[in-house]
Amino acid sequence: MSNNAAGPSSKSKAGSSQPSETTFKRKRGVFQKELQHMMYGFGDDPNPLPESVALVEDIAVEYVTDLVHKAQDIGSKRGKLSVEDFLYLIRKDMPKLNRCTELLSMNEELKQARKVFESDEEKLRKVFEADEES
Amino acid sequence: MDPFEVAFEDVEDLSPDSPTDDPVHVENQFLTPTNSLTSPALAASTGTNASTGNNEDEDEEEEEDNVDVNIRNIAFRRDPNKLAKTRAMLSQFTEAQTERYESFRRSRFKKADMKKLLLSITGMKTISEPMIVAVSATAKMFVGDIVETARMVMSERKDSGPIRPCHIREAYRRLKLEGKVPRRSVPRLFQ
Repeated sequence: MSNNAAGPSSKSKAGSSQPSETTFKRKRGVFQKELQHMMYGFGDDPNPLPESVALVEDIAVEYVTDLVHKAQDIGSKRGKLSVEDFLYLIRKDMPKLNRCTELLSMNEELKQARKVFESDEEKLRKVFEADEES
Repeated sequence: MDPFEVAFEDVEDLSPDSPTDDPVHVENQFLTPTNSLTSPALAASTGTNASTGNNEDEDEEEEEDNVDVNIRNIAFRRDPNKLAKTRAMLSQFTEAQTERYESFRRSRFKKADMKKLLLSITGMKTISEPMIVAVSATAKMFVGDIVETARMVMSERKDSGPIRPCHIREAYRRLKLEGKVPRRSVPRLFQ
């Protein structure tokens, strides 16, 4: 797998026309493995070109960075970064917004289901232990 | 049971979601036969955590796979109509299409990796789970936008084979023009 991607250096954001506010060392290819599957799923070759994967990773990281910074700008008025601010930013992109709200509500449902399961499991365990003692 | 097998075996469990939520769009994408598909070596890497080796991440990854199946079950309850349509579509897939669809469904940004990225971007000490969920979903769909647009660019140029960086750059440019890429506003220096 080539590490000499067509994209820019690993320390700066791809194609950014502004200096980044948080400079951090980002490892190359953090998302590479999953991105290969993702790109194939969305229509690329089963084995996407390494240069393409690297470029998509740079672009995706820049996308996330800019989105999150914008959300922070909104949220900073309230002093926090919240999901609501983030959802507000993507409000014009209906498919993304729908998908996010769907996943978030499922996530919540799952949390509740897990809570019930854990409390049931705890009760069962206690009954079992009481049985063992007698 | 291997979550990968579970996903394959029971079509019912596949949640009827698509990036665009538009059945026609999804059909066009997946019913067009592709002729250059080799069998992808997915099984080996899906469901295993190869990036970081520590136990915490492995547990998280396993939990994510189980969560994935549970989430699909919950989604299944929501809209039987949409599910029926999806099942009809899936039943007509060739093996190659099914493999691609599975890749599409199962690929995701790893929670731990996304969390690290968000922590370094925001400079915060913690990131809430809903935030990670929302950002990961949005980022994945954005990758979808890029890849699909890149394929459109390729067909206009009558190119074939794997997507090349030049296609991706053109796709990115077009998405920016469409306003689908957030730009932080540059301060106006001269009015």
